Amino acid sequence: MELKEIRKKIDLLDSRILRILNYRMELALMAKKLKTSIEDKDREKEILERIRLNSTGLINAEFVEKVYTEIIKESKGLQQRDHRLIGFQGEHGAYGEVALRAWNSEWVSVPCAGYSAVFEGIKKGLFDYGIVAVENTLGGVVGEVNELLVNTDLYVAGAVELPVYLCLMTLPGTDHRDIRSVYSSSQALVQCHNFLERNHLEALQYYDSAGAAKMLAEDTPKSSAVIASKLAAEIYDLEIIKEDIDDFERNMTRFLILSAKANVAEGDKCSILFSTAHRAGTLFSVLEIFAKHDINLTRIGSIQSGAGNYTFFLDFIGSNKDEKVISSMEQIKKVTSSLRFMGCYKEKRVD
Amino acid sequence: MKNLKLTTIKVKNQARTLVKVKDITIGEGFTVIAGPCSIESEEQAIETAIRVKEAGADILRGGAFKPRTSPYAFQGLGIKGLQILEKAGKESGLPVVTEVLDPRDVSWVCEYVDILQVGTRNMQNFSLLKEVGKAGKPVLLKRGMFSTLSEWLSCAEYVLAEGNPNVILCERGIRTFESYTRNTLDLAIVPSIKEVSHLPVIVDPSHGTGRLSLVERMCLASIAAGADGVMVEVHRNPAEALCDGDQSLSPPMFMSMMKKVRKLQECMVEINALDRESSK
Repeated sequence: MELKEIRKKIDLLDSRILRILNYRMELALMAKKLKTSIEDKDREKEILERIRLNSTGLINAEFVEKVYTEIIKESKGLQQRDHRLIGFQGEHGAYGEVALRAWNSEWVSVPCAGYSAVFEGIKKGLFDYGIVAVENTLGGVVGEVNELLVNTDLYVAGAVELPVYLCLMTLPGTDHRDIRSVYSSSQALVQCHNFLERNHLEALQYYDSAGAAKMLAEDTPKSSAVIASKLAAEIYDLEIIKEDIDDFERNMTRFLILSAKANVAEGDKCSILFSTAHRAGTLFSVLEIFAKHDINLTRIGSIQSGAGNYTFFLDFIGSNKDEKVISSMEQIKKVTSSLRFMGCYKEKRVD
Repeated sequence: MKNLKLTTIKVKNQARTLVKVKDITIGEGFTVIAGPCSIESEEQAIETAIRVKEAGADILRGGAFKPRTSPYAFQGLGIKGLQILEKAGKESGLPVVTEVLDPRDVSWVCEYVDILQVGTRNMQNFSLLKEVGKAGKPVLLKRGMFSTLSEWLSCAEYVLAEGNPNVILCERGIRTFESYTRNTLDLAIVPSIKEVSHLPVIVDPSHGTGRLSLVERMCLASIAAGADGVMVEVHRNPAEALCDGDQSLSPPMFMSMMKKVRKLQECMVEINALDRESSK
């Protein structure tokens, strides 16, 4: 290996060490949500003992103890501050995290393996909030999330509409002429189909776009690139070759911010869930109430809940403090078999 | 010219090729392409783009892959340069043109720019010509520095034969025994092309003369010769340019040149009207 190559490897490893440390801090913050006091001498002793036994090669016990004493000190320091933890689906750099940063950049985002883990985490109190994608202008509704929303007792605390900019990125220093394969989520690959065709690139499916970026940074496969967010390029130290490569002009994803408690802050948008009896005109009677109250609907979706029965999602403009909203909710209660007010919140549109 | 099927005029009063790029039509009026020889930094490119736009340029130029005589000279910023050029184009609202050197880069360069330029040194690079012919973007084909008119049109023929009708020819000077100027700008080629081909032709007085003091005069001469446009190098600070500083105009010089260009254009409308009258 030449010096330049060794240094490149060290750079990759350093950024990986930092990501792992960040992950450890996230876990410490999650642990705090489940324990009563920050100080736990027995646990600290246990950690130091374990790493001392694991020290190998050039890493001696004295050195690891020094490093770990610092790490534990830092994580206790973080635990003392009041952090808001938000779960999102995917790896760091996922579009859910991009949306979250646009909503509140001070919140700590924690990656989750799937949408159900986000819902679970909020319910268990590991997360203060969660962010989930509900629909995309190209891909339609996110079925899995709708399914979870119908069966949850969580509330909507906010919404973000995010333009999705897909970027092609590589390991730093990669010659664009050497790119042969491109990894990303199936949705992202479909949305960049023409771009990939034009440049004779092979599309390889990966479980998640940010996950593909992480894999590229860690496994360094040859002749490869990934399609992911700009944030993913920053996090994994990748070089963007081309921004905004999707074949479509308008690629927007709408996210909901969920919480175990109902939102008390002011809002101008509301979400409800309801089901109606399996009879002619029942849905119409609900919509008629909105029409009579002059309430503008922004989304209506349905999901099958058992044979022949449907649950409807409905978003509308207004506040739960508005007279006409209160009155229409009372009337809707009478014509539906179930009604759940999911929240009144603000929606942020990112440019 | 026997082997020229697509580039030459076949019938009397045959329609001339118009090349449309965004809101600009090359072949109609007089199109001015301006910008730095090379993209050096985002700041440099955007500032230059905005200033040439203010002065009335129609299209922004900027090199990312540079064909340099010496392998040790600045070779351009590559993909990074293309990213900057694209951004400068968006910020100024100008379409952009850049040179492509390598057939492997053609599809990539198309992702960032509106017009592909084939440089003088690559005029007869036939694999590159075939590739840009397939690319579906307009091609600015510079005249090879040792090429005759028919050799030049023959190269344009390669692009057209691939199904791409949008070729703009660019005279940039040829090698002669004259050494005062970098090249000898062959302005007689402009009306010559108009006689035999329907393709639009523009002139590059920056490379054609290699001398700052001659650029404006030759630019005006191009209008009189009947060219469809010019391509000139403009750098926000020519003394600091990494490439072709000696022949780059500063933004104020470009602005003063543009005033004269537009004025002469107006005169040419009247002169061309006289032409039409006498041919009746």
